[in-house]
Amino acid sequence: MEQFFLQLTNGLAVGGIYALIALGYTMVYGVLKLINFAHSDLFTLGAYLGLTLLTSMALTDRLGPFWGTVLLAFMVMLLIAIVGALLDRVAYRPLRQSPRLSAVVSALGASIFLQNTVMLVYGARFQVYPQGILPSTAIRVMGLDIPMVRLIVLCTSTLMMLALFFFIQKTKTGTAIRAAAIDQGAARLMGIDVNRVILMVFLVGPALGGVAGLLVGLYYGQINFTMGWGYGLKAFTAAILGGIGNIPGAMVGGILLGVIEAMGAAYLSIAWKDAIAFCVLILILIFRPTGLLGERVAEKV
Amino acid sequence: MKKVLFILVALFVATATAAFAADPVKIGLMGPMTGSWASEGQEMKQVLDLLCEELNAKGGLMGQKVAVVSEDDGGDPRTASLAAQRLATQGIAAVIGTYGSAVTEATQNIYNEAKIIQVANGSTAIRLTEKGLKYFFRTCPRDDEQAKVAAATIEKLGVKKLAILHDNSTYAKGLAEEAKGLLAGKKGLEIVFFDALTPKEQDYTAILTKMKAAGPDFVFFTGYYGEGGLLLKQKRQMNWNVPFMGGDATNNPDLVKIAGKEAAAGFYFLSPPLPKDLPTQEAKAFLAAFTKKYGNPPNSIYPVLAGDGFRVITHAIAETKSTDPEKLAKYLKTELKEFPGLTGKISFNDKGDRIGEVYKVYKVNAEGQFILEP
Repeated sequence: MEQFFLQLTNGLAVGGIYALIALGYTMVYGVLKLINFAHSDLFTLGAYLGLTLLTSMALTDRLGPFWGTVLLAFMVMLLIAIVGALLDRVAYRPLRQSPRLSAVVSALGASIFLQNTVMLVYGARFQVYPQGILPSTAIRVMGLDIPMVRLIVLCTSTLMMLALFFFIQKTKTGTAIRAAAIDQGAARLMGIDVNRVILMVFLVGPALGGVAGLLVGLYYGQINFTMGWGYGLKAFTAAILGGIGNIPGAMVGGILLGVIEAMGAAYLSIAWKDAIAFCVLILILIFRPTGLLGERVAEKV
Repeated sequence: MKKVLFILVALFVATATAAFAADPVKIGLMGPMTGSWASEGQEMKQVLDLLCEELNAKGGLMGQKVAVVSEDDGGDPRTASLAAQRLATQGIAAVIGTYGSAVTEATQNIYNEAKIIQVANGSTAIRLTEKGLKYFFRTCPRDDEQAKVAAATIEKLGVKKLAILHDNSTYAKGLAEEAKGLLAGKKGLEIVFFDALTPKEQDYTAILTKMKAAGPDFVFFTGYYGEGGLLLKQKRQMNWNVPFMGGDATNNPDLVKIAGKEAAAGFYFLSPPLPKDLPTQEAKAFLAAFTKKYGNPPNSIYPVLAGDGFRVITHAIAETKSTDPEKLAKYLKTELKEFPGLTGKISFNDKGDRIGEVYKVYKVNAEGQFILEP
């Protein structure tokens, strides 16, 4: 039983990160019906920018580990949000009226461009976050040794998701985003500035992805310019699992995927853990083609 | 028209002869310049550049200059086979490399068909020299020898419950199975865990949690330093104090950088002697020259083993006065005896394996340094 709960926390922490990235995919898809392949590279960029800010500005030395990290997270969010908006302006907006496939190709191109930019600027080797910013000890909760960092990752991703949930459900802008996701034309007739909504989506989604990158850097300590690929694939899977275009779906899908992976590794075979996760995905899609919480049938891309 | 043709022919002849006169003896280097083993590959290049410079300062080979032609294998078998095909068409006399066994394996046949001598520097998987390839050599020892030392060390430490973890690569799986075979059935020792992780992931907590539940008092990890560092770090975050031992692929200072000094302290690993512990005169002179040129001593043993590959090949070319692969292979297998290498004496057996190298056990101390265990 102890094994079960420990693996559950492992899965929740990884799942939280998947969910944060999946939100970026799902928000863009919801409004534009576009799969933003460059999103995983914005995540990588978040990890690298976080490292640069951390080492160059010594935030945690000046403000203490807690406020330093919080400020760092906001700076990374801001920067990645700007990059996300620029990405939309340069790579997607000129293709708004073109066939959807053109935008997908443009997304792939943007992904390759961003990944190689990171490699050229930072080099191909592993980069390592400085040690000791987050406490490296474990705490005992009900007889379980749970690393502090894991709790921090879990809390941060939960907080970010709650904030997003309230933003989407309770604010005027959030309502506009939901309206634009249902029907852009009708939303425009209701006086909603759809271009502003799209800009908003490209600010919020990448910001969450950037924070996820920073969390990965702080949690695992080791980052690489190709790391976005693996996480992007898992997060995209999570978005589909929960029903792409659906915001609570991405949250549920991400956390579920993380937990399935951890449980597969724990009770079946570690070497087959990805295969197990994808088998579950296939099973779910057979019985619920639109994903767990999805309503509309996903269109072909 | 005739005039144009004449000029063209004249030009062609001129460039051909010019090229011939200036044509250096080319030695290929195939190494992981990018990717997760980039630090190994980049240092391999540094070592070969240095040795090549020294050789040219002494007059080169057979009156010609020596040049190193390097290609990036990315630490990936697919990239490597492309690199090997590019190298094979560039008129190289021999190729040095590469680091990972699976990567080397992808290129062995390409070089063999092109009749190019290949001297691997870090590929320790047993089967590489069991295929009867005529032109394949390696300056590093084999995994069966490593497994013997690993088994002896594990027995000496009095381990009762052992966990073995590999990463499904040619090298790591071979070493893990070899060690398992040697230790299975030993009295008072039980192998409680044997499984593989997926390389290049970042979260190994699920594996560590599962391993911890099996209750081992010692873990032998046969994979590479990137994953090794993360395992140590995440093990410490879990408050789990089991001792870890790694195979020779964990021998890289980046392991300590990734894990952090506190988490890496107490980690054992097997390795041929590190550059700083090398006893020979050649090694000391080389270390001094390397430090002078690059500002730091070589970090890992494998680039030095690549250097030995280069020295053995150039020595063979000088002795046989030829770059004919048949002659070189014959010379290396039958005539080269106890060549004073940077990593000790070098001779090859019929299979192309290096004879008589001994693995050492190292332990990481509290400062993150690698200390040779007596």
